[in-house]
Amino acid sequence: MQSKIVEFTNLLRKSGVRVSTAESIDAFQALDELSLGDREVFQDALRATMVKRSADIPTFDQLFELYWSAFYDNLRGAFEQAGESMGGEGFDLELLLKQIQEGIRSLEGELDLSELAKALLTQDLSQLEQMIRDAADQAGIQRIENMLQLGFFTRRTMEQLNSEGAGRELRDLAQQLRESGMPDVQVEALLELIEKFLEALRKGVRSYTERELQQQNFDYMEKFRRESLLEKSFYNLTEEEIKRMREVVNRLAQRIKNVLSIRKRRRKRGKLDLHTMLRRNMGHGGVPFEMVFKERRKDRPKLVILCDVSSSVANVSRFMLQFVHSLQECFTKIRSFVFVAELGEVTQVFKDEEINAAIEKALDGGEAINVYTRSNFGQAFHYFWRNYLSAVDHRTTFLILGDARNNYNDPRTWCLREIHTKAKNVVWLNPESPSAWGFGDSVMDKYLPHVDAAEECRNLKQLSRIVDKLIL
Amino acid sequence: MFESVEDVGVRLREQGYICGKNIATVVYLATQLEKPVLVEGPAGVGKTELAKVVAAATGRELIRLQCYEGLDEAKALYEWEYSKQLLYTQILKDKFAESMAGATSLREAAARVGREDSVFFSDRFIVPRPLLRAIRAEEPTLLLIDEVDKSDPEFEAFLLEVLSDFQVTVPEIGTLTARTLPFVFLTSNDAREMSDALKRRCLHLYIDFPDEKVEVEILDSKVPGIEQRLAQELVGVMQRLRKLDLKKTPSISETLDWARALLALNASDLDEALVRDTLNVILKYEGDIRKAEGELGRLITRKTEEKAETAPPPPAKKGVLH
Repeated sequence: MQSKIVEFTNLLRKSGVRVSTAESIDAFQALDELSLGDREVFQDALRATMVKRSADIPTFDQLFELYWSAFYDNLRGAFEQAGESMGGEGFDLELLLKQIQEGIRSLEGELDLSELAKALLTQDLSQLEQMIRDAADQAGIQRIENMLQLGFFTRRTMEQLNSEGAGRELRDLAQQLRESGMPDVQVEALLELIEKFLEALRKGVRSYTERELQQQNFDYMEKFRRESLLEKSFYNLTEEEIKRMREVVNRLAQRIKNVLSIRKRRRKRGKLDLHTMLRRNMGHGGVPFEMVFKERRKDRPKLVILCDVSSSVANVSRFMLQFVHSLQECFTKIRSFVFVAELGEVTQVFKDEEINAAIEKALDGGEAINVYTRSNFGQAFHYFWRNYLSAVDHRTTFLILGDARNNYNDPRTWCLREIHTKAKNVVWLNPESPSAWGFGDSVMDKYLPHVDAAEECRNLKQLSRIVDKLIL
Repeated sequence: MFESVEDVGVRLREQGYICGKNIATVVYLATQLEKPVLVEGPAGVGKTELAKVVAAATGRELIRLQCYEGLDEAKALYEWEYSKQLLYTQILKDKFAESMAGATSLREAAARVGREDSVFFSDRFIVPRPLLRAIRAEEPTLLLIDEVDKSDPEFEAFLLEVLSDFQVTVPEIGTLTARTLPFVFLTSNDAREMSDALKRRCLHLYIDFPDEKVEVEILDSKVPGIEQRLAQELVGVMQRLRKLDLKKTPSISETLDWARALLALNASDLDEALVRDTLNVILKYEGDIRKAEGELGRLITRKTEEKAETAPPPPAKKGVLH
């Protein structure tokens, strides 16, 4: 049992669940306290001691199924099937087994059966389970890599088990029983049963090798899934991926929140505030028991976001807006705008609406702009400069999300220059790669002098890197 | 405390808390291994309630520490009662003068005051906060550290220290060690990921929303007098509501509130108008209510179809709570 738990722990670790040594010791102790008959309790106990993040629970359940249940269930199924298939008219498996036991007892002393043969005859499944596990290990099952090797490893494991030897022994046993006077019908039935059990054993071994193959591939597949998601561009996303993406963005936002709360606490202690302190300590007769400090000026970053929602960046901006929505939950001082040629504010929309509805509304122009025009960055910046410049001050980070494809309109770079002089910094996230900036109708090169940081941002990896820069 | 996993289930049920096997298993393990339990899950699934009923079932005193941002040791562990100390010095002024009477030099006077130090820094003037109370308690207690995710990381580190050996050092008095190990529950709403160090020391229990069967059972036990049919309809609507993407998913407490509201209105059957009128009992955001109103037809008609088929509810796969 111990080795199984250790193996299972390793499997969890390989799949990215962090399990410390202390936790696996807890698991051992927990299992000491419980009766292991109930698989559900067993599973709960392992989960409570080893898995500490609710996000890991699905992985755990899946692995548990794979590791503990599937194989044993298959083995049991195979043996049950073997028993059932014996059922001719009026056949009683229980009775036969009992008669065989009696027969064996009468042969006492002359009998020398191998472990496997005994386990087969008594249908001791947990014993068989352990034996198959050991044999498969010796057969080098860890090296299994693909489907084509299933047959090979099944055969090797069977050889390792010496199943043929056990079969021979059992047939000899039947012969002995016949000689000792067991009726022919029963001996025939026994011989049939032996073949059926051997077949069930083979099925069990086969299912074990299959399981082992799956297990070898599981962490690999999971890893592959994550990697590919991180690398994937925002264009072409499925529902599931959007969901996972949202989780990651939320995690990012959470990290931002944590950083902010550290800042807030550092900020707490400023100079001694004499006035307030005296007033507060009047109750103690003016003796300053409680110290009061002035609060330092809040250094909370302000953020103004301009998000391009024109059709050329439709898929990206959907994601970007999702990001904006998460940001808006963390920052109190944030204003968001969407633009194509006209520019409209969506801060309130994002505040009121639940995320999907908000994004839909924003993509639709937030009831403020017409999205069916051709994008014009110059006009949008000009409009912002004219109407919202007061939203920008020396503590503001000005974030632009867009591809700078201006449809050969006037870029009006002076607007961005003006904004740049007022803002703390200007950050531009462009879904296009830098090599495309300035080509065709892209005016990115014209804006670059007025931007503190311009980053290519098309996928999550790039985004998370930029977030580190932006906040930390 | 408990004899077996089944015993936990039965005794919690006696306290009116209906839970699945997973909860019972973890509670049993925690009592056997003497480890704290970290309970996570969405708001309103009965995390705090679990601690309360375990306390009631084991006859332990419940000591509760509510965490919030900015909670520090003084609020969680102990504090000196300044004003009382001050008051005593005022009252005892004469006594001081007496004991000071023979002193010839300032130095000697200070030394004499020093000798009396322990009078003012003694048990008399200490205000025990929850953690110290749990440590000093004569009888075994149950310590509930609620919403631990709301506290700051520093406090979490401090908590770690207390939870690992249940002793604290008060500089003026000395080290206090717990006479009996308290049984500790920590609850978290996942507002912040707890540190691995803390998680490692705890057993982890994730409580999710209950399935239909368990929820009906809870409803039956908590809202006596509700008709079985109404309870089932109501729970059905709730279960479907939870599948919508809402800002605040309605929890069990909302189910109970709603059931009580419907009872007060003498409703025996759910129809669209009634649900629309009482939606604000279960949903707390304007946006959510509007969304649910849009789905109202589906929420209820689906139920009637199901009733026509009289499909049996799916067997409870995941053990769940209250």
